[in-house]
Amino acid sequence: MVNPVLLIAVPLGLAFALPLFGFISKRIEKFIPVLGMSFNLVISLLLIPKAMENPIIVSIGGGKPPFYINLVAGPVGILFSLIIAVVGLLVSIYSLSYIKKGATEKYHMLYLFLLVGATGVVLTGDIFNLFVFWEILCISSYALVAYTGEKSGVESAMKYLIQGAIGSSLLLIGIGMLYGLFGTLNMADIAQNIDSVSSISIFVPLVFIITGLGVEAAVFPLNAWLPDAHSAAPSSISAILSGLAIEVGVYAIARVVFTIFGAESFFLFLCFLGLLTLLIGEMSAFSQNNLKRMLAYSSIGQIGLIVFALGIATSYGVAGGLFQIISHSLSKALLFLSVGYIIYRTSSMDISSFEGIGKKMPITSLAFTIGAFSLIGFPPFVGFPSKFLIVQAALAKGEILFVVFIAFILIGTVIEAAYFFRVVQAIYFKKEKNNSEKKEAPIAAIIPMFILALLIIGIGVYPKLVTDILDSAASEFLKRADFIRGILG
Amino acid sequence: MIDFLSHYIYYIGAFGLIFIGIFIILVKHNLIKVIIGISILDTGVNLFLISVGYISDGTAPIFSSPDMKAENMVDPVPQALVLTAIVIGVAVLALALSLAIKLYKHYGTLNLRKIKEMKW
Amino acid sequence: MSVHFLLIIAFGGAFITYFSGKIHSKLRNFIAVFISLVLVGLVAFFYNRYTQDAVYLQFLEIRLVLSLNTLSWFFAITITVVETLSIIFSLRYVKGKEKTDFYYLMMMLVNAGMLGIVLSGDLLSFYIFWEIMSWSAFLLISYNKGPALAAGMKYIMMSVIGSLCMLIGIVSLYTAYGTLNISEIASLIPSASSGYILFILILLSISFAVKNAVVPFHTWLPDAHSEAPSPFSAILSGILIKVGTYGFILIFYVIVGLKIFQGLFGFRSILLILGAVTVLVPSFIAIFQNDAKRLLAWSSIGQVGYIILGIAFGTSLSVTGGIFHFFNHAAFKALLFLCVGAVEYRTGTRDLNSLGGLIKKMPVTFIGVMVGACGLIGIPLTNGFVSKWLLYKTLILEPAPFLAFVSLIGTWAALFYSYKLIHNIFLGQLPEKYKDIKKAPFSMQFPVIVFSTIIILFGILPGIPLTLINTIVMSFGFESLHVTLWGIASETGTLNTINIFFAVLAAGIVSWLFFRAGKKSISVPQEDTYAAGTYIPKDKYHYTVDFYNPLYRMITPYLKDVIDTFYNWIARSVGKFSNVIRKIYTGDVGNYVLYIILFLAVLIFIQFGLKLW
Repeated sequence: MVNPVLLIAVPLGLAFALPLFGFISKRIEKFIPVLGMSFNLVISLLLIPKAMENPIIVSIGGGKPPFYINLVAGPVGILFSLIIAVVGLLVSIYSLSYIKKGATEKYHMLYLFLLVGATGVVLTGDIFNLFVFWEILCISSYALVAYTGEKSGVESAMKYLIQGAIGSSLLLIGIGMLYGLFGTLNMADIAQNIDSVSSISIFVPLVFIITGLGVEAAVFPLNAWLPDAHSAAPSSISAILSGLAIEVGVYAIARVVFTIFGAESFFLFLCFLGLLTLLIGEMSAFSQNNLKRMLAYSSIGQIGLIVFALGIATSYGVAGGLFQIISHSLSKALLFLSVGYIIYRTSSMDISSFEGIGKKMPITSLAFTIGAFSLIGFPPFVGFPSKFLIVQAALAKGEILFVVFIAFILIGTVIEAAYFFRVVQAIYFKKEKNNSEKKEAPIAAIIPMFILALLIIGIGVYPKLVTDILDSAASEFLKRADFIRGILG
Repeated sequence: MIDFLSHYIYYIGAFGLIFIGIFIILVKHNLIKVIIGISILDTGVNLFLISVGYISDGTAPIFSSPDMKAENMVDPVPQALVLTAIVIGVAVLALALSLAIKLYKHYGTLNLRKIKEMKW
Repeated sequence: MSVHFLLIIAFGGAFITYFSGKIHSKLRNFIAVFISLVLVGLVAFFYNRYTQDAVYLQFLEIRLVLSLNTLSWFFAITITVVETLSIIFSLRYVKGKEKTDFYYLMMMLVNAGMLGIVLSGDLLSFYIFWEIMSWSAFLLISYNKGPALAAGMKYIMMSVIGSLCMLIGIVSLYTAYGTLNISEIASLIPSASSGYILFILILLSISFAVKNAVVPFHTWLPDAHSEAPSPFSAILSGILIKVGTYGFILIFYVIVGLKIFQGLFGFRSILLILGAVTVLVPSFIAIFQNDAKRLLAWSSIGQVGYIILGIAFGTSLSVTGGIFHFFNHAAFKALLFLCVGAVEYRTGTRDLNSLGGLIKKMPVTFIGVMVGACGLIGIPLTNGFVSKWLLYKTLILEPAPFLAFVSLIGTWAALFYSYKLIHNIFLGQLPEKYKDIKKAPFSMQFPVIVFSTIIILFGILPGIPLTLINTIVMSFGFESLHVTLWGIASETGTLNTINIFFAVLAAGIVSWLFFRAGKKSISVPQEDTYAAGTYIPKDKYHYTVDFYNPLYRMITPYLKDVIDTFYNWIARSVGKFSNVIRKIYTGDVGNYVLYIILFLAVLIFIQFGLKLW
């Protein structure tokens, strides 16, 4: 049986050793992230059967659970590390040819650090360890957003850093309060003792932690950094940020709300927050002309949908939210990867410069169309079963309030369809402005797009591939007592 | 009143620093001042963490002589947390300052109200 | 041989056509026609082998089922035949245009989607194929650039709104009953409260009404059908809007069931009134159109109004009339669109104000338009007459005087616009620039001939399709009509088309004899018009401009298109509102930090003060 620590340790070691590889040859540096992420992918796949029965507990430091730091690789953790491995691998293949200028070895190091941070957040069972890995994730993303050194990149990174620093400080205050109340940092231990404290004093740490995590998770008032950062970053980083970093943020919120606090009364608030985020995100996307900014606002909208689904807090709801996370990661990564090369060829991010590009870059445009249709939720792509599950979860709850919620969510979907169709029509059916020759994206970019499209269609047609692990993950979140018992014994 | 103050003086100090930090970030225009505000915020949070672990009349958590008992020491766990947090704060500060240098090269000013190219 | 082979060949064939187009265009044309013919053959093969097949594809715990019964077979054969003829027509029509592989791929995907819709036995596969059909149609409507893009957007936005309403309805049914299988739901639904049934009916009807272009959801249709490439307009008007009809039949008669449906008086009345308005107003709007395809598009809206009247009215005669009118309208509207397409292919325009006098140049096309127009109006000997007769009879019998009156006026308007179409394209003077155009090529004439034959054949021998429709109607629980090969016999009057045929034949023979007897006829050339002795310059005096001007002046004040303006206003307001919302993200980082702190403060105050939860 493989040790889940390897999921974090091996990429971390490879990241630090990357400059050493650089001494051998400059050219193999860009293959190290590919190596690290394929290793992660293999290990995650191997761990799936074992993790679905009982969460695998690894204790760093050798003691039994409430002492020392422990990693918990349950169904949720393995699902997320699988998503991180797949998307990380595909984007690292894409970066092989996309990242050519500048200090490329620093890019690859930071890239691996980001993925290590993300994997660490989802696998850890200790709340301060969560904070440490969270900071690794955040700081790597601050630096990567500014990677190109252009005006917009540096400005966005600065604003992201300021907001992220406040978020992290709030998170740390919340953790400190929790420690002061309970004397332990282990998530399961806190969860066990949560009822022994009055609800007022338990609420303040919850609020601080949610606000702190929410800055990275991009919920409504806290996500002002997102449009700037995701549109100014290089496209491979936008794909990683939109596809992984904010989903890991939502995971952290879910872990805190469901497992640690078990705050039943908070779920309705999550639904409202999700709905508000969705509507504001989609409406802001509707009026954009800059394509990457439009996609960034669309990410905000999708995160709203995911948070709404998690707030429904039934097994359909949580499974739907997790499925939507898978669907959004795959689709948004595909969208950003295809947009990357289109922008590179036309040197402009404006939608009007995309006209007629369907003829010159057919595979890339097809990838964009597949990603767009999948995000809207058309069959036979992966967006459809996830939206179906969410609608089913909301209607199965039976209250009229949720039917109203679903009506608003579908209004958001209609607006989403409107702006995506605008771009699809511009790509295929408008006359092209300048007559440049037909030049497709390089092969290193086409392979990840092709695999992502294949995954989107495959899971969309046959969702049984993922529903087993989704159901186990949902029950891990919802059956709190079993989870605590599984860890503490 | 004095009793209350003396029990909670560290918390008041910590939260005071936190509020000052947040105030600076909210109000000040100059980027360097905002970064200093981040630093003050970090300091406040660290102070808060340590004061969570403070036990009255405790000493440093080091077994400096064989008959020291654990009941007389302050809680060592927050001190470990704070060490980590200080290092993280330093890293963020270093990144912020290098970004500020690049930002000045691009914009020619450090006034945050003028660095507003990406909006809406 | 099970039913899912049909779908596999349909979808696989679409992709094979696309990829073979990369190899060679003639290969692709051949494969496209071949696959369509194979589909026709397969559907014909399944006649009377009705089955219900479970495809073992587990989709989120729902089992997808394909089923083929008489209703599905009837729709399927119409879909495949119209598709084949349109593809044969396209062989010359799109030759030389760009992106022809994409065109064929989308044509076949739309048809595969429609086949899937009529073959699905559970609501989830229905929804999946419905969506596939919708987005393929969207991509194909936008095929001609320019105004087609706006038309495509309008279409897909209204279709998406409809589909999402349908999704809510379907998921609600699933959570209530735990299954989406149509036959299982049909047996479980009578136990539901009538409020819930009404809720589901309204949600699903919105989606079908959008697709079926019932007023007030019809505004996408004129733009979409006129801007799409002509063979695809034929499919759009002929069958794509009729899948809405299929949906209506499904929810009214198969799922909800005859008894409950006849009891829902309020819902049915609203639907009947909407159907009546759909017959009346668009038919008049069609009279004043100057673009041939727009005229046909508005006429389509009018005709589906008849179908809705038939289906919603709820007697055996009316449902038979409605279903038969579906088939007939597919035949003659596809025929008319293909003929107009042929004219457009040869002359390059579809503007009615500039065409004229093509009768000698394109005779086969002229005959096609004649037959199609006769069918549209409902002249005896065409199949349109039979279906209209059924509808009038039932509206007059159960006294529904308002609806009967409206349908008769609708036919009157149909007469007007059909004549305008014939006159403005074929009669009158031939403009100078069209002197040398050739006849339509054979691949375009062939579908025209086939459709005309179908129209006249089923006009003389309506028993062939009517027996089939009778089986369908009986399976809903109506009582059977006495269908003979030549019509329907009932106590209140028999339709016997063989009598009509002989009567018309006799009249024709008599007039031909008179014509032969009087040999004093001289032939007058087409260009010789009488104008009181003065010379009329041919190009400057066109008889077709402003064709119905007095009527136009009389009626136009009542025909403003308020619904379209309303929808455009909604779209613009959403755009303006979004522009306001995006100003939240001001660009000033102090603001953003303020948002964070405000969020924190609001949460804390809520807990301490308001106790929201």
